[in-house]
Parts: sequence; structure tokens; C-alpha cells
Amino acid sequence: MDFAQIIEQYGENYVKAIFETMSMTAICFALAMIIAVFITVMRVSPIKPLRLVGDVYVQVFRNIPGVALLIVIAYALPNLKVVLPWKACVEVTVVLLASAFGSENFMTGINAIGVGQIEAARSIGLTFGKTMSKIVIPQALRSAVLPMTNLLIATMLTTALGSQVPMSPQELTGLVSYITTRSTGAGIVPFIISAVCYAGTAVILGVVGNYIDKRVRVLR
Amino acid sequence: MSAHTTSMRDALYEAPGPRTKLLTLIGTIVSLVLVCIGLALVIQQFRITGQLDAKYWAFYTNMNTWRFLFDGFLGTIKVAAMAAVLSLALGVVLMLGRTSGIKVLEIVCRVIIDFFRGVPSLLLIYFFYLAMPQYGVRLPPFWMITLPVALAASGVLAEVFRAGVNAVPKGQTEAALSIGLTPGKTMFKIVLPQALRIVVPSLISQLVVVVKDTTVAYVVSYPDLMQNARVLLTTHDAVVSVYLVVAIIYILVNFAINQLSIYMARRSGNPIISRTTENPT
Amino acid sequence: MAEQSRVIELRHVDKHYDKLHVLQDINLTVHKGEVVVLIGPSGSGKSTLCRTINRLETIDSGEILIEGEPLPQEGKALAQMRAEIGMVFQSFNLFAHKTILQNVTLGPIEVLKTPKDVAEREAMELLERVGVAEQAHKVPAQLSGGQQQRVAIARSLAMHPKAMLFDEPTSALDPEMINEVLEVMVELAQEGMTMVVVTHEMNFARRVSNRVVFMADGQIVEEGAPDEFFDRPKSQRAKDFLDSIRGH
Repeated sequence: MDFAQIIEQYGENYVKAIFETMSMTAICFALAMIIAVFITVMRVSPIKPLRLVGDVYVQVFRNIPGVALLIVIAYALPNLKVVLPWKACVEVTVVLLASAFGSENFMTGINAIGVGQIEAARSIGLTFGKTMSKIVIPQALRSAVLPMTNLLIATMLTTALGSQVPMSPQELTGLVSYITTRSTGAGIVPFIISAVCYAGTAVILGVVGNYIDKRVRVLR
Repeated sequence: MSAHTTSMRDALYEAPGPRTKLLTLIGTIVSLVLVCIGLALVIQQFRITGQLDAKYWAFYTNMNTWRFLFDGFLGTIKVAAMAAVLSLALGVVLMLGRTSGIKVLEIVCRVIIDFFRGVPSLLLIYFFYLAMPQYGVRLPPFWMITLPVALAASGVLAEVFRAGVNAVPKGQTEAALSIGLTPGKTMFKIVLPQALRIVVPSLISQLVVVVKDTTVAYVVSYPDLMQNARVLLTTHDAVVSVYLVVAIIYILVNFAINQLSIYMARRSGNPIISRTTENPT
Repeated sequence: MAEQSRVIELRHVDKHYDKLHVLQDINLTVHKGEVVVLIGPSGSGKSTLCRTINRLETIDSGEILIEGEPLPQEGKALAQMRAEIGMVFQSFNLFAHKTILQNVTLGPIEVLKTPKDVAEREAMELLERVGVAEQAHKVPAQLSGGQQQRVAIARSLAMHPKAMLFDEPTSALDPEMINEVLEVMVELAQEGMTMVVVTHEMNFARRVSNRVVFMADGQIVEEGAPDEFFDRPKSQRAKDFLDSIRGH
């Protein structure tokens, strides 16, 4: 099948799939950022059990393969009486993975600041709260722009896990497998369309992230 | 966790006074209780749903179970190792093209790199599994999983290599050119060997991504760890215990690789360059 | 001297790093307007001593009094006290994400609650005084080390401190930049600022200080007027140290 035939037959599916992929990416990334902040606060807190929980969380979810986590959530959890809709399984998986990497990015940002500036903040009389809100957090956020851009792209690619469960409507990868198994002779066109959607978005996000980073980067 | 991380997060706090010590102690006790309650609830949920029953765990005492899982693990290693080697080679080639100074070649390589970095590995796997056979190319399962994983990794590796080359001091190139080496010789004899050494920790950490990507080998029915786990759980009807054990194996393997990469980075003083730290454009 | 003129007072201060006894029974009083220079070989504890005065380092036992009041251990009271004692670090420690002007105004605005325009006017005067007013809208990384250190001094001065601590302020500087920082410090001393200075700049110590405190192995070995100390050191440790830095 050529491009025109695919679009004619599956154009609507593609519009839906693009929307699925992009909206899942946006929702998952937003949730992941919130959880990442929460986990990071736990990891930098002076309370040891919270630190430990945060560290274990990050190590588990940055090391588990996405598919393995999805399968645990989608197929193992129902046996524990935790049943989620298919799409929610994918979203929970993506959020757990992305939040672990997000927390790592924040930690890297905090590490880049250095003890000296914190001592300087203390010595001009800033309280702990002010030191965090005026010195540590702004710098950690600025240096997180580039890694978080890459994480956003990675989050989009991870939503392709949606192809491993019967989601409806499908996202961009699931749709390809749907079309290819349904129409014999669909060829490589369905792949090209999805791939261009992914890679094109990734390049655009990269350019935007790079632009923001250049403007806010902390010179050292 | 690197020692650096630990020291910096401690540096956020000053040595506590008596009041802070008391608050920290209270916080520690309260959080410890909460964590224990959380764990107890999870275990309770396992218990009331019968997932702690002996039938779900007894087969782990049988060596055959482990042998079967180990066979799968060997499959994972084979795919990961081959994909790693291929992606290394392809990554170097793409990087050389991207920095060749030949405009057309640079653009082509850049498009290829951006493409492989910008599409999900699952899509590439479906390409080898679903699209290629339509053109009469039906690869063995091993290659249907290995090639897409290698291609997906090569894009990121090309950028890692480029960062490595950029990290070699400019003086090295100037010195090499000034003693009369050609630009090509300068690259292969002087710059590339040093760049490779710089990126060793990054390459090791990139291996984690490769191992993760191999997990979808079941799509093409290649017997890796995950695929064998799926066989195992149907034989024993033990979804929870098998998937949990397999997930833990993956986590431990990747954790070990990551720790090795951190160790190498600390020993050599070279940073870990990854898809999240490199420049996206 | 009168009781109220004692700005900084350390009584029987002890501190250990694990087994290492880094401060041993330190007694030191700094009066208003005094410039006290701490010298000694590296590892003698002089930097640690300097940093205990605003509790960047804690002590194991003994007492530290600021204007007769014990040093608070935490919270707002500690922050308040620190606001009154300036600190200049070896590595400048300017806030990397803020402009030079913002570095100087941050403390006054956030801690002293000075209105922004007043804080900025004062900051510009201070920057003028230390000679970096033209750089006010750059970020720290764009300045030389000497310039950064002068900004750090201005940042401390903006808090109107009762005393200033200098922890090896010129040790991280290239030789040609040392003087520009020392000149600012000399001026401060002449204006009557109470100063505790850890330094290796012996000319500065001799020319500006009222008292030289020589430390070795965590103890104050001897102290005295600069001329007396440099020309007629009493202890063998001090003689050896002075010989070694004079290159004999």
C-alpha cells in the first residue's frame, strides 16, 4: 500500500494515535515531575528511612526494564486484587520509570551547586528554607532543563509500551502493529509515518529544550 | 549512589542543634513506623490473595526452574552482547560521519542519528518483525531482536562518542597535525583512542539500556529471560511469583552494571555521558 | 578593656575530627576594631577556628560568645547572628545564578528586609568602593578571581556586619590579583572594622594587624603584636615556621 491508501484507510486512526501518544506523554511527564520532586525531597531529607525509601525507589525504577514493569502491573497486580484499565497500566509504568530518572536529574542539579555557595548563603544569615528557595532550588531547576528535555523525549518513546497491551484507541506504535497485522501488504509506510511523528517531535523538543537551556544555564 | 551524592545532600544541612536533633529523631521514628506499616500492608495483600501459598513458590526449590531461567538469561546475554558490539561499531561510524567535515555525509549521519534516537525501540522491533517479512526478508528471531536493539543504541552511542571526541584536548589534535600526521591519522591514532577511554564508563552505563531493550524479545519469540519466564509461569500458573522474581533479576543485573559504570567513572575521573546528559540537538 | 568591647570571645574551645584533635583548648578574644591575623602551617586548625566563630563548624566543648552572648545553635537566632558577622571564603562562593548586583542585594533584601531600591543603591555604592561597579550586571563566572573576591567582600559588607571573618581570602588567587583584594581589606581595617583574618600574607599581617595569633597542631602557640612576633618570635615552632616561609 502506498502513502495515500494508508492515509485514506487509517488517517483517522493516526490522528487518534498521535493524540494518544502526545497526551499520554504530557500527562505522564507532568505526573512524573511531581513525583520526582517528592522523591527528591525524600532523598535529600535528613530523615534516614525516607532517604532509604527514595533511594530504593530510584534504583528499582531506573533499573527495571519498562516491559517487565508493565507486565508486573498489567498481569501480576490483578492477582493481588489491584486491577487497572489497560491505558492506566501503561501510564503508571511510564510515570514510575520517568519519575526515577527525573529525581536523578534533580539530584545531579543539586550536586552541581557545591558546598561553598550553601555555606555562603548561611553566612549572610539565610535560614535553611531561604537557602533552599533562593540558592539551591533555582540552580537545580536551571541545570535540569537539558536532562529534563531528554527525559521528556524518553517519556514519549516509553509510551510505545502501550503497544504491549490491548489499548483502545492505540498509540503510535500499537497502531503500526494493528495496521500491519490487519492489512496484508501494508509495507513499511505505516512505520515511516509513526517513526517520523516520533523523531520529528523529538527533534523539535530537543531544539526547544536547547534554546531554553542556553537562556537559563548557570555559568560556572 | 555515589559518595558525592551523599556528601552533597548532607551538606544541605548544617550540624544539627538540640531542637533539630529532636525533630529529626521524631521524624525518623514516625517515618520508620509508616514504612513498616506500608510493607505490612503489601505483605498482607499478598497473603489474603493467596500469593504467598507454597504452590507459587515451591518450584523455586527445584534446580530445573533456575536452570531454565538461566538458559533464558544466557539468551538475554547473547542478544545484549551482540547488540552492544554492533551498536559500538555503528556508533563509531555514525560519529565519524557526523564529524567528517563532508557536508552531505554529515547531514546524512545526523539524520540517521536523530532518527534512531527519536523512535522507540519497540517500533524498530516491529519493523523487523512485521514489515521486513512482507518484502520476503524473514530473519531468525535472534537477529529480529538484536538488530533493532543495536540500531536504537547506535544513535545514542554516536552522540556519546562525539562528546568523548570533544573532551579530548584540542592541543592533542594540534600537536598531532604539527608533527605531520594527516587529519585521518590524527583521528585514528591520537584522538579516537583517547576518546574511547573517556567514554568507557558511559558505554558501560549504556549497556543497561541495551539489556532493557532486549526484554521485548518475546515479541519475536526469542528465548531470553523474559520469554522463558512466560513459559515458566504458564507451567506453574504462578504469574505473580514468576514476574516478581524476573523483575528482581533484571533490576539486580542492571544495578550491577550501573554500579560498575559509576566505579569506572570515579576511578578514571571521566563523567558518565548518557542520553539524559548529552545535548539533544 | 571594657566588657562590651569584646566582639568575639572563645573560651576553652575543643574540637575533634574523629581521633584528630583539631582545636585544643582555644582561648581567644577579639575586641571592637581589632584586626587579628591567624597564621600557622597548613593543618594547624586556623581555618577551622575561623569557621567555628559563625558555626560553619561545630565545637565539641567550650564556649563561643558574640558580644557577650553565647553563639546560638540553630534556627532563626543562629541565622540572625550570622547576618551580623561577615564571612569571606577562600573560593569566593558567589551565587552562580545571580548577577553581581543580586549577589550583594540578596542578604539585605531577604534577611534585613531592606526595600529593593535602597538595597540596590547601597550595593552599587559598595561595588563602587571595591572597584567592580562596572561588572554589576554580569554573573560571577564572567569575573576574574580578584574581582569575584571583592564582590564577596561587598556582599558581606552589605549586611553591615559587626565583625568580618576572612578564611584565606587570597589563597585561591593568581599572584597579580592578590593586591587588589588586600587593598580593600587594608581600607576596611583602617576604617575600624573588627576582623579575623586567616592568611599567608605576612606583609599584610605585619602592616595591618593589631595582633598575630600563631597556631600549630590545633593549639595557639603564641600571640603578640606583629612587630614583636615577626622580629622576636618566642617559640621554636614559630621560629621554624617563619624561617620556612622566608625561604631560609
